Amino acid sequence: MARLVILGAGVAGHTAASFAAKWLGNEHEVVMVTPNAKWNWIPSNIWVGVGAMSKEDVTFDLAPVYAKTKVIYKQAKAVSLNPDGSQTIDKSFVTIEYTGQGKEGESEELEYDYIINATGPKLNFGATPGLGEGTVMGEHTVSVCTADHAIHAAHELDICIEKMKSGSRQKFLIGTGHGMCTCQGAAFEYIFNIEHKLREEGVRDMADMIWISNESFLGDFGMGGLHFKMGGFITSSKVFAESLYAERGMDWIIGAHVNKVEKGMVTYESLDGSIDTQDFDFAMLIPPFAGVGMKAYGKDGSDITDSVFAPNGMMKVDADYTKTSYADWEPSDWPKTLQSPAYKNIFAAGIAFAPPHPISKPMKSPNGTPITPTPPRTGMPSAMMGKAVVSSIVDMMTGKTTEPTHTSCMAEMGAACVASSGKGLLSGTAAAMTVFPIVPDFKKYPGTGRDINGTTGEIGLAAHWVKHLLHHAFIWKAKLKPGWTLIPE
Amino acid sequence: MSEIKKEEVTKDHSHVQHVEPYTPQFGTMIPSGTQKFMRTCVLWQIVRFVAINIKMSVLILKSHH
Repeated sequence: MARLVILGAGVAGHTAASFAAKWLGNEHEVVMVTPNAKWNWIPSNIWVGVGAMSKEDVTFDLAPVYAKTKVIYKQAKAVSLNPDGSQTIDKSFVTIEYTGQGKEGESEELEYDYIINATGPKLNFGATPGLGEGTVMGEHTVSVCTADHAIHAAHELDICIEKMKSGSRQKFLIGTGHGMCTCQGAAFEYIFNIEHKLREEGVRDMADMIWISNESFLGDFGMGGLHFKMGGFITSSKVFAESLYAERGMDWIIGAHVNKVEKGMVTYESLDGSIDTQDFDFAMLIPPFAGVGMKAYGKDGSDITDSVFAPNGMMKVDADYTKTSYADWEPSDWPKTLQSPAYKNIFAAGIAFAPPHPISKPMKSPNGTPITPTPPRTGMPSAMMGKAVVSSIVDMMTGKTTEPTHTSCMAEMGAACVASSGKGLLSGTAAAMTVFPIVPDFKKYPGTGRDINGTTGEIGLAAHWVKHLLHHAFIWKAKLKPGWTLIPE
Repeated sequence: MSEIKKEEVTKDHSHVQHVEPYTPQFGTMIPSGTQKFMRTCVLWQIVRFVAINIKMSVLILKSHH
């Protein structure tokens, strides 16, 4: 009997664990190590952040779900990897520290034959002074990164709405809290949901709404922008996004590295090197992401973290990390099997793998400050990576092969994104976008870098219905209810 | 631009008042009334709902390797 350990029960890790349990049966062991007791459908945190959904609507307890499968669930966080074992343990093992199940603070050395690192990101609030300390959000802004953050955001939003109803004008600042952030899409969706809520409450005319982002142009989305067919033209995401903001009377600040957050004010450096401030009454700023900070040790106890992880804490996989110039970048730089080059029994999936470089063109201010979105790899790509990685591992564990059999390369996969504006089935509109491939290939698709038949964008109620459909379908799937395998990831 | 009183705004132009010249918003496009109607026309949106689901399904099929 071999043992597969999966670190992290996010979209990638939970997908991998679900399929591993189904495919491996009783012959092998699947162990899930995750510090959280609940699974969270993160895309719907946006609706929690405007009070349209509760925490219970977007989360559920993991223990009962794993109890009905053959997955052994350990509520713990991974601290370090010993891929070669140690002087007392011959086998590969991961050191975990419990965060629940009545064993809080206890450590365990968990041996593995294969391991998937799907730990997701560390919310690095501490990277921007005033945005927070370490992984803890500060008191000046709100966040929608977790369900609890979103509940807090909804509460603060309600306070602002009450002030507006009392005649006090309010300024909303939404976007990214650092020059190296990713996940602009979440902030993008949140500002439109706030705007919709303010209209519903009859106070939109009392609000100034400002978008602030590290994108060098509106609609970059960390993917260097995209083009799609619209109204008889091949239209850029810049025009698409600017149109949405202009239609709703919202201003934007782009190319901004927020370098300080204080009560009611941010200081930011722009791509032209200027330093400005922006005041606010309500601010939701996405923090930058980093790896969770796992260490790696050799058999003799030496620190080998640098050979397993990139400097940002993400795990090195089969990518080409040598390319430094935007002009030299190729789609083939991106990892395919997501296997560690140093250890064949280690894989990464979702945000936990280290991208070879950004997708957006790297930008710096004249002061040398990097202001570049990092690549998005949440949601749909994460689920596809989780399934591909576990497919390869199952083939290796069952002796069919010694090499990975499945690939999941962001240069060969597409992504779908639905950004709602409200939650109503007959009111509000959403933007539905598809992009193929995520990483542009300018040789295969000259000019746009992407398949113009597979890269689309439209606005309407239908996209709202799709968002509702995805919410219910993916929670059904994650709960492993009957027919869950029929819902594609 | 000079301050415009709310009652002076022509109804058909109320949704394009954010794209004045020499503002960042000037360079973009604004949906017409017809476009806005179609975005919330239930019958048309049922058609688009089917279309979006087909597009996403094709995307998923092309993405698994």
